[in-house]
Amino acid sequence: MVGGGLMSHSIIIKEDLYYTKDHEWIKIENGKVRVGISDYAQKELRDIVYVELPKLGINVKQFERLCSIESVKAVSDVYSPLSGKVIEVNKKLETSPELLNADPYGEGWIAIIEAEKLNEELKNLMNAKEYDAYLKTLKHH
Amino acid sequence: MLKTHLSDLFESKGAKIIDFVGWKMPLWFTNISEEHLAVRNNVGIFDVSHMGRMLIEGVDSTQFLNYVTTNDVEKLRVNRMHYSLICNENGGIKDDIMLQKISEEKYVLICNASNREKIYNWLMQKSMGFNVKIEDVTFEVPMIALQGPYAEKTLQKLVDVDLSKVKFWRLTTTKIAGYDVIISNSGYTGENGFEITFWRIPRSEIDNFIKVYNEIINAGKEYGLKECGLGARDTLRLEAGLVLYGNDIDEDTTPFEAKLDYAVKMEKDKFIGKEALQKQLEEGLKKVRIGLMMIEQGIPRPHYEIWYGNEKIGIVTSGTYSPLLKVGIGMGYIKPQYDEVNREIEVLIRERRVKAKIVKWPFYDESKYGRGRTNVP
Repeated sequence: MVGGGLMSHSIIIKEDLYYTKDHEWIKIENGKVRVGISDYAQKELRDIVYVELPKLGINVKQFERLCSIESVKAVSDVYSPLSGKVIEVNKKLETSPELLNADPYGEGWIAIIEAEKLNEELKNLMNAKEYDAYLKTLKHH
Repeated sequence: MLKTHLSDLFESKGAKIIDFVGWKMPLWFTNISEEHLAVRNNVGIFDVSHMGRMLIEGVDSTQFLNYVTTNDVEKLRVNRMHYSLICNENGGIKDDIMLQKISEEKYVLICNASNREKIYNWLMQKSMGFNVKIEDVTFEVPMIALQGPYAEKTLQKLVDVDLSKVKFWRLTTTKIAGYDVIISNSGYTGENGFEITFWRIPRSEIDNFIKVYNEIINAGKEYGLKECGLGARDTLRLEAGLVLYGNDIDEDTTPFEAKLDYAVKMEKDKFIGKEALQKQLEEGLKKVRIGLMMIEQGIPRPHYEIWYGNEKIGIVTSGTYSPLLKVGIGMGYIKPQYDEVNREIEVLIRERRVKAKIVKWPFYDESKYGRGRTNVP
């Protein structure tokens, strides 16, 4: 747990995940990669009302647009943390987008990707400690 | 960044703070939907001190304002206010404003925060030859809005005047906690409510003003009052069908295109923009403002294209997810020949055409919500 952008709320960071600067996370599960958005991201977006899921089977490149999330206020793009093929999407988000707010690291996962260059591209991501430090730099912007 | 009397308080409370046209303002305190629904069902409090306020005084003030604005200032009586527009010579909207008549030769003009300097300069420039004094009082007169079905009950606890007699577009001057205030029945949410202007509180008295602000919050607690940020202010005004300057109206849009005809009195002898507007009435409009509601899932956002068949017929200027109706709603401009309520159109959302329909505003059921509701508490 670290202090985030909000004084009255703390931001949860999970130890076993890797993070992007755009606040997506990945969890490596038997060579496949589960993708979601971080607690910081969901708190910044607040009331998430619609998730446009990625299409099954599409190929995405690292840091290119994966899908979109709409909060009341604005639409935000989610960027793919890694290159690969989308092999599963979280259909629950179609009817319950609020899961992204309620459980960003659990039931609010977005997609599973079959990574092409996991080891190579992992270098471009942050571990929990690095992400924690990164969030601290955002506090004062 | 410019600060209202309450900006730092909001930051210390943990509100999400944004730079809104140079002002340090809260976007939300908890989240937009909750704050939005508090206003529709209970009562919400907003700091609206960022809006530009000009005090206009002098023997020619009525005549001057009648010349620079589109509504009929001659017909405006003391303790009344109206919505009006300031147009350029081409009939384009420089700003939409509220004009309060305090006494025979004294008015308060309330303009958008984004236009404060532009409007002040325009008024100064156009006031040549008129015996008027124009003062920008924005920084010394904090302004609070209480909006929602329990706004009146909340505010009534703090004032002696009978607020039920201060009807829509009327105002009264009284005192709250020793401060002179102008209380008007007005707002930007579609709900019944009041806007309270504290007539001059120097920055040295911020601590005292915070006490007054907290007193108002406490008065509303039993009715479920919530502090609201600019996020809810925007979704509320959009549900009510009210325009936002810079999104839905600008200098390239005329009052007729925006369907703000009621604020333009063409029978007036002379006002800036009249000739151009007269010409437009004769020649016809090139675009008109519509309300739109999504049929398929999706949320319209500014600059999205509006399509009908194989033709691009217009553009979205405001859009959001309606926390009350739980559907995407928006406003935009289309070619006039397509303007027909219930017409099915399409909004281009990320390369995909998504079905919507043209609707009237306000977007909500007026018997259940807004100042016309039948279930007044």
